[in-house]
Parts: sequence; C-alpha cells; structure tokens
Amino acid sequence: MERLIEILEDIQPDVDYENCTDLIDGHYLSSLDIISLIAELEDEYDITVPAVEIVPDNFNSAERIMKMIERLQED
Amino acid sequence: MDLSFLLAGAGKTMTSFFSMTYLFLFLPFCLIVYAVTPKKAKRYVLLAESLLFFWLVSGALVAYLLISAVSILLLGLWLGKLQQKQKAAIKDLPKEEKKAVKQAFLRKQRALVFLGVFLHIGLLLVLKYTGFFLGNINSLLAAFNCPFEMYIPQFAMPIGISFFSLQALSYIIDVYHGLVKADKNYARLLLFMSFFPQIVEGPICRYGQTAEQLWNVGSIKYRNLTFGLQRILFGMMKKIVIADRLDPLVKKVFDEPNSFDGGVIILAAVCYTVQLYMDFSGSMDAVLGTAEIFGIKLPENFERPFFSKSVSEFWKRWHITLGAWFKDYIFFPVTSAKRMKNLTSSARKKLGNHFGPLVAGGIALFCVWWCNGLWHGAGWNFIFFGMYHFVLILSGNIITPASKTVLQKLHIKANSAGYKVFCMIRTTILVIIGELFFRANGIGSGMELFGRIFTDLSFRSFDQYLLPRLGVDAYDLAICAVTLMIVFAVSVVNEKGICIREVLEKSNIVVRWVVLYSLILFIVIFGAYSFGYIPVDPMYAQF
Repeated sequence: MERLIEILEDIQPDVDYENCTDLIDGHYLSSLDIISLIAELEDEYDITVPAVEIVPDNFNSAERIMKMIERLQED
Repeated sequence: MDLSFLLAGAGKTMTSFFSMTYLFLFLPFCLIVYAVTPKKAKRYVLLAESLLFFWLVSGALVAYLLISAVSILLLGLWLGKLQQKQKAAIKDLPKEEKKAVKQAFLRKQRALVFLGVFLHIGLLLVLKYTGFFLGNINSLLAAFNCPFEMYIPQFAMPIGISFFSLQALSYIIDVYHGLVKADKNYARLLLFMSFFPQIVEGPICRYGQTAEQLWNVGSIKYRNLTFGLQRILFGMMKKIVIADRLDPLVKKVFDEPNSFDGGVIILAAVCYTVQLYMDFSGSMDAVLGTAEIFGIKLPENFERPFFSKSVSEFWKRWHITLGAWFKDYIFFPVTSAKRMKNLTSSARKKLGNHFGPLVAGGIALFCVWWCNGLWHGAGWNFIFFGMYHFVLILSGNIITPASKTVLQKLHIKANSAGYKVFCMIRTTILVIIGELFFRANGIGSGMELFGRIFTDLSFRSFDQYLLPRLGVDAYDLAICAVTLMIVFAVSVVNEKGICIREVLEKSNIVVRWVVLYSLILFIVIFGAYSFGYIPVDPMYAQF
C-alpha cells in the first residue's frame, strides 16, 4: 500500500490518499492522471489493466485500487 | 380509407415537452392509463406509451427503433452464448492453455462488437452525414472545374437516432465486457431504448442504469408525483420564460452576420449560450421530472456547468451522459490499446509524469472531440467546435505546471474565492466563443461573426431602435434577467448540496403552496406563449 501511495503522490500531489474515498467522483484524479497511473501500475505490479476496469469504483480510493491490482494479479 | 396518417405520425406538435399537446394531452393521458393499469401490466403500458410517442413524433420511422432493438437483442444473445461456451471450454484447462482459448473466444466476440458498431454507426453515418460528405465532394469537384456532380439523396431521420444509437452500442459493449448479462427479453430491451421522456434529447442511459428500473416500475407515489411535477415546472420556467424569449434576438443576429457590429454580436453570443443552457437543461428537468413520476431515476445531464473553473471541468458538468459515453467507449479504450500503452510508457520516461501521458491522451482526446463535434451535426462549424475544445483542454493540461509556478510567484492561492471566480469567468468566456461557432450557420458565418467582434467592436447600435430590430423589447430582457437570477440562486443552493424540493417537503404547507403557486403564476404571466403560439423546438432534438 505504501508503494501505491508513493505512486499516486508522484502523479498528483496534495491529496490525502490515506483517507480520500472519492478520487474520481471528487475530481481529484483526471482522465490523464488515470492514464499515467495505469502505465505505472502495469510496470510496478506486472499486470494489464483493460479498459473495462477503468471505472470510478476501481479508482475512488487507494484501497479500491489495491483491491483491483490484487484481483488482476490473480487473473 | 386513408391510412397515410399511420406513416406520418403527428409531426412536430409533440417534440417539445412544453407544448400544449404534450403537456395537457399526451402526458396526462399516459399517467392516467398507467395509474389505472394493474401492477404487472404497467411495464407493457409504459412500453406502449413510449412507442406511441415515438410514432406520434416520427411516424413510420419507428421501424428504425424496432429494428435497432432487434439487432442488439440478437448480438447480445450471440455474445452471451460465446461467453458461456468460453466458460465451459476453459473450465478444466491449465492456466497456460486457458489464455490461448480465451483469446480465440475474445476474437469472435470482438468481431460481433465490430458488427454492432458497423450496423449502428453505419446507419447513423448514412442517414445523418451522407449529405455533408457528398456535398463536400461536390465542392471539391467544382473547385477543380470537374463537370461531374454527385447526386445527394435525402433521408428521413427518426427523432433521437443520435441518442438511441449510442445507447444500443453501449449495451453491446457492456455485454462484451461482461458488465451486464445479455437480455433475452425483447420488450425489456425495447423499453430501455425507447422510454418516451428520454428519446428526444437523452440523457444517454446505460442498460445497467435503467433497464431493470423501467421493467420493474410500480404505482405512482404521491411524493414522486409532487417531486416530478415540481421539477417539470422549474424546467418549464427555464425554457419558456428565458430560452424561448431570447430566440428572436439570437435568430436575427446569427441569420444576418453582416448586419451588426461587434457589440451586438457579443450580446447575441451571450444570449445564445444562456438560451442553449436554459433550453437543454430545462428540457432535462422535464425529462427527469417525468421519469421521477414513474419512479425512475435517470442520470443527471447537468451539474451547474457555469461554476466550472476550467473547460475540462465544464464538460464534466455539461451534457454529462454524452461526455461519459465518449470517455468510457472512446477515450479509455483508445488509451488502453497496447500500442498506446507502450507510447505512454516510453513518453513518460522521456517527458516525465505530467507530459508523458499527454501524448497518448492527446491522441485519444482528439478522437473524442472529433466524434463529439460530428455527433452534434454534419457541418464544418461542428467539427471546428469539437477541435476548439480539444485544443483548449489539451493546452489547459500542458500549461498546468507553468500556471502553478506563476500562481506561486504571484502569491495567489489557487483555492481562494477571488481566483476561483476569475477561473469561472475565464471558462465562461471560452465557452461562449465555442457556442458562437456552434450556433453559426456554417463555419464561414462563424468566422465572420467572430472576426467582427475584433474588427468592428463598437456599441454604436445600442440605441432606441436596436431592441425592436432584434425582435425583443426591454420587458423581455428584464424578465430574462430576473428569471436568470432565480435560476442562479437555486444553482448556488444546489451547489452546496441542498435539494430545494426536499427542503420544501419538510416546510409548512402554507410555505409549500405559496412557493408552488408563485412558480406557476410566474410561468403563466411571464412565459413566452399565447394562443396559437408554437413553442420553439427543443434545441438538442435536432442532433
């Protein structure tokens, strides 16, 4: 989780990633931030994030992102 | 016996949700029939009323809708069958083999999705854009003095085709992605495609959002009825007190781009932006309010767009369901393609975290805005409108780091009220310029109007003869200004997360009725209507 928060802070600083639960709905992360994040996640965790996974529910909090990563690693 | 009326429908008298025919005949008729129908049959009544509405508006062209629903039913079932076969085929396979079998099935499914896209987009292209493409080819031929001219066929287009085609495509793609199960029930799919309040101007719904709600409708509840009617009333105020009142002024200036100086053109561009917002969001209030009466929650299409601090944010608050459709079905699929991901990875290494994703993002953004422009209409001014927003949004992203540095050096806090207001005004000005081209009768006319703002910027026409020349009077403008202040006050309250209808519900009965009667009287007294008056067609219905 620490590494994920580092990645997020690198892409978009000034957000409380530990507690924020509306990263997408609250407009904290833009579509371009998401592209950057996905590229970083794919490199870091050796996963492929298909377009269908890019929904607010999967990106609204660091916890949700982590859950998606774990699910994709199992696939 | 003359049966030609079966093919023609009732024509334009029904396209506006605020026309007398719709508001005082069709809607009450639908509500009464729906209310007296037993619960189990309500869904079928809603479907019959939706098809009746479509037939009244488009006549025999209702066939397009019926065939479109058949096509997505069959494609969906085919996709579902392939997914079941895939599941059974990979069940006992080792992990390495699973991938290869999955890929083979995915290829077949992708072919079906392409077939769906080809059918729906192909039909839309033929009906909506043939004249535009062939017209441009003819212009090119004429430019090269070629004696040949292509025949341009005229197609009758069913109302709402741009909206229901996107709904049909989203269903097929969602089934392919496994987000929704393939529906075996044609009536349910047809109701999802044709629900009468949303068929003319949207919102563009996803199957997962509305299909089950529509299929499981229940009795009309008192709360839903009052909430829905209140919302329709508020939309009616926006549409017939503001939007329709501004129509003559806007029409006059945009139809005669050479006749007015820059000052009047600025006034007309501002009035058009107000008119479009009041017309479209007012119609959406009627759509969502009507759906609410039936107990259906449709997605919102507007979230106070003029409070946006950037053009990018504006498009997240304006015509939300169209923007979300383009984001989900064009932007992310384009950026998620393998080559684009590789491009993002290599660009990030060379250009860093901020500029790296802008390369692939820019390409996807270009596709989105090209489609967005063309979706609105077959004309170069619409393509220009799309490209204008593409440039604004991309450049906004490019200069973000530089603007942050400038703000820091000038000791301006980005979250200060003053800076936020500055950003809102800046965004509004940029939007108004875009809408000027959007409304212009062609790109040449748009350039002429925009150019005159700079080459002939004067206010010499602002004399006692101007308003009669524009087809309005001071009374019209004063009423629009007062009503806009009411809309603004409501927007400020809504922006704070307060729902005025809920506040009203909890308030004293006297307060409630005073507010409601005031709103009704306000519309009756100040609405732009009279006997024999034909309401201005809803502006987004033409798209």
